[in-house]
Formats: sequence, structure tokens, C-alpha cells
Amino acid sequence: MKTFKIFGVVAVVIGILTALTLESCSAEQVAAYKNKSGAQLWGENCIRCHTTPSPAAYNDTDWDTIGLHMQVRANLTKKQAKKIFDFIKSAN
Amino acid sequence: MMKKLILLIFLGFIAIGVKAQNNDFKSSKTQFMIRGYGHMGYESIKTNGNTESTYDGGSFSPIFMFKHSDRLMFESELEFEINEGTLEIGFEYADIMYVLNDYMTIRGGKFLLPFGTFMERLHPSWVNRMPTKPLGFGHDGIAPGSGVGVELRGAFRMGTSTVNYSFYNTNGPAIKTPNGVEPAEAGMLAFNNLIDNNNSTAFGGRIGLLPFANNSTEVGFSFYSTDKVGATGSPYENLGANLYALDFSFVKQLPSLGGTFDIKSQYNNSKIDNIVYTVEEDPGVFEDLNFDNQSHSFYAQISYRPTMSGDKFLKNLEFVYRYSEVRTPEGSGFESNKQESAFGLNYWISWRSLIKLNYQSITGEGGHDVIGSFDQKGVFLHWAIGF
Repeated sequence: MKTFKIFGVVAVVIGILTALTLESCSAEQVAAYKNKSGAQLWGENCIRCHTTPSPAAYNDTDWDTIGLHMQVRANLTKKQAKKIFDFIKSAN
Repeated sequence: MMKKLILLIFLGFIAIGVKAQNNDFKSSKTQFMIRGYGHMGYESIKTNGNTESTYDGGSFSPIFMFKHSDRLMFESELEFEINEGTLEIGFEYADIMYVLNDYMTIRGGKFLLPFGTFMERLHPSWVNRMPTKPLGFGHDGIAPGSGVGVELRGAFRMGTSTVNYSFYNTNGPAIKTPNGVEPAEAGMLAFNNLIDNNNSTAFGGRIGLLPFANNSTEVGFSFYSTDKVGATGSPYENLGANLYALDFSFVKQLPSLGGTFDIKSQYNNSKIDNIVYTVEEDPGVFEDLNFDNQSHSFYAQISYRPTMSGDKFLKNLEFVYRYSEVRTPEGSGFESNKQESAFGLNYWISWRSLIKLNYQSITGEGGHDVIGSFDQKGVFLHWAIGF
């Protein structure tokens, strides 16, 4: 029963967050967000936990492995992860 | 003629060598990689008037990653650490993950729990800006760190925001009892429950929202709930537990202030059903401990690094302050009420290695093996590296 109560609270929180975030998003803003470059995503996302990694630290094959690891650990979408690690591999 | 022949043979060897080299370095779909982190340091800690100074023997935490394909991966982390002169080996996680689609990944095994963000994302020594964990985490902590089970997680875009989520089912925690190794900790949850002790699992999850398009800010809500924490057949079997956490993160380079600000915070709350614990204080002397089994902890940390400075030395410096507190049930054997203030000065040698000079003050009451007031002052010098 307690578990269901907790799930209920979570559902309400999700609903509120959804309503808040969908408010006031213009088509241009959404397009700009979707078209972010890999370099921009690299700069914005890596520093959420640690410093931005040097592309030269690993080779392309290693970055592929690290990319899958970080996609899951950092909860990146597959598109975000692909853009970030394509950028890193192009710059190493 | 002879010279030409030798030259041809020589060129032939080079061609064979180059071909062999190309074959050697041709990448395969499956990859195995070892990464990880470690640290060493020196610490001087004065606790209730007694000073202990020692080199910290350090830690070594290798992470093994096996990428089977673009969707399938196995990862595991071990932790070797010298604690009070003894080598301790920890089994942090070992899980298999499969990317179902762009927005969903399933994983199973022993994995770090996304209860807040500190234990899952921020605890590695080269990521944590402080040499220690905030109060409420780690040994005697009230927040779960890892669990054995299955998890569904992912992220998706919503307008110009990003939502990430995780839902999991694990063996759940076990409650410490008066018959355990540490009777004084009766009523505390042990989260390293590798085998389910009561056929009742725990459900948990976290919802994170990055509301702004620049991904600078993240707020998260986590929960963790189970109907049973005691072993089957024991008087504690039907005790339930409900935990939740709120977390906040803001990281952004602010040109007007010439550097990067990093703010992290997390609040943890734990409520376990009440019961009377009869503890043997001395041989033949029993005491009933009846208390409201609710605990909470909180930490907030702010760091500033002048990343836009023209001076190379200055831009690698980082100033950190952290406040944390923990309160465990009054009247319990593990009663505590402590507050911590910590100041740090870090120097980043590279993007994954830093030296931390830190001063910490913890005051309050109770805690592990402490009755009455607690006063601890510590100076730490740590060198951490990720690899």
C-alpha cells in the first residue's frame, strides 16, 4: 500500500514537471535545442558531474566504449551521446 | 644488382609489417577496457581531543567495461582500499545493460542506485570535489548506494527540456537487529543485501528534469520503498521502509564572474516502521529501545573555478565549500545529530587529476561508537586521478 502511495506521489510530480516544461516553448527554441552541435553538448553535459574530457585522452575505439558507458550512466539520449562522441572522435 | 635486391627485400619487409600492423589495429565490434580511479593522501584528524595523523594508503577502483555491441555492455567496478591498516575489497557493481531504443535501457545485476545523485554520479574520488563523502552517505549512511535487481532507465526531450528517469526493483534492504554483529545499530538499514532475506523486494526510482535548454540546472526526485525489511520468520519481518530524496544541481560558466560555478545539493529522508528493539547492553542486562525510526540528511556544496582567467595557475584552482548534516533517531543505539562545514582548495593538474587541500569540522552528538558530544576537526591533503 505504501509503495502505491509513493508511486502516486511520483506520478503527480511527473505531471507537474511535464506541465511546467511544456509551457512557453516556441518552435524556434525547440529547433535550436534539437540542432545543438556535439561540441555544445560536450561542453554542457560532461561538466554536470566532472570536467570536460580531453578528446586526445583515448582513441576512437576506446571512445566508443566510454560513449556507451556514459550514455547509460549520465542518462543521455542516444542522439545526444552520438553527437558528443562523434565530436570527441573528430577532435582527437 | 645486390643493392637493388637488398632494397627490394627491405621494402618487402616494410610492406608486410605495415599490413600486419593494419590487421593488428583493425578495430573489432567487441571491446574490453579498464578504466577507473584512485587516490592517495595525508590526513590529520582530531576527534574529541585525540589526534590521529597518517598517510592515507589510498584506494584503487578499477572499472571493467566489455562492449559486446553498440547496444550490449557489461561493466563492473571493484574497490581496493586500506582502512585503518587493513585492506578492504569492495564489490561496487557488476551489471549487464542493453539499449532497447533511443530512450530506454534495461540493466540487471548489482548496480549503483540513482537515489539522488551523489552515490551514482559524484562519489568517485576524481569527481568528488571533497576528499570525503557528506554526512549521511557511506558507512552508517541513510541513503542506499547500490542494489541487486533490474532497472529500466533513459532520457527524452520535452520541448527545450530534458527528462531522465529510472525505475528499479531490487532485493531491498535488511534491517539490523539486536542479534546482529552491531546490536547498537538495531533499527538501521543495511543496503548491501545481496540475497533477498524475506521474499519482498524494494521498488525505487528517480525522475530528473533539466528545465533549461542549456542543461545547466537539474532537479530530481527519488523514492525507494519496501513492505518488508526483516528476515522471514523474525519479529522484524513485516516492518516496511519508505525513503525519498530531493536533489539539485547547477553548473555553468558565468562570464560576468569570470569562472564556473558548480552547486550540488541533496536531501535524504528515511522512515522505517517502529518496533521495540530489546538490546543486551551488558551480559544479562537488557534494555528496550523504543524510538521513532526516522532519519534525514542533507548536504549542499558550492565550488567556483576561475576558468576564464588568463593566468594558467589561477584557472586551475577551485574553491569549494560544503555543509552537511545528519540526524538519526533519538533514543536509538545509533542516535546522532551532526553538522559538518568543510572548506577546500583544489588544484586541477589535468582534466582528470586534482590535488585537494581540505579542512573539515564536524560537531554534534552521537554517531558510530560515540556517546555524547562529538567534535572532530580534520585537515586532508589528497591527490586523486581518474583513468
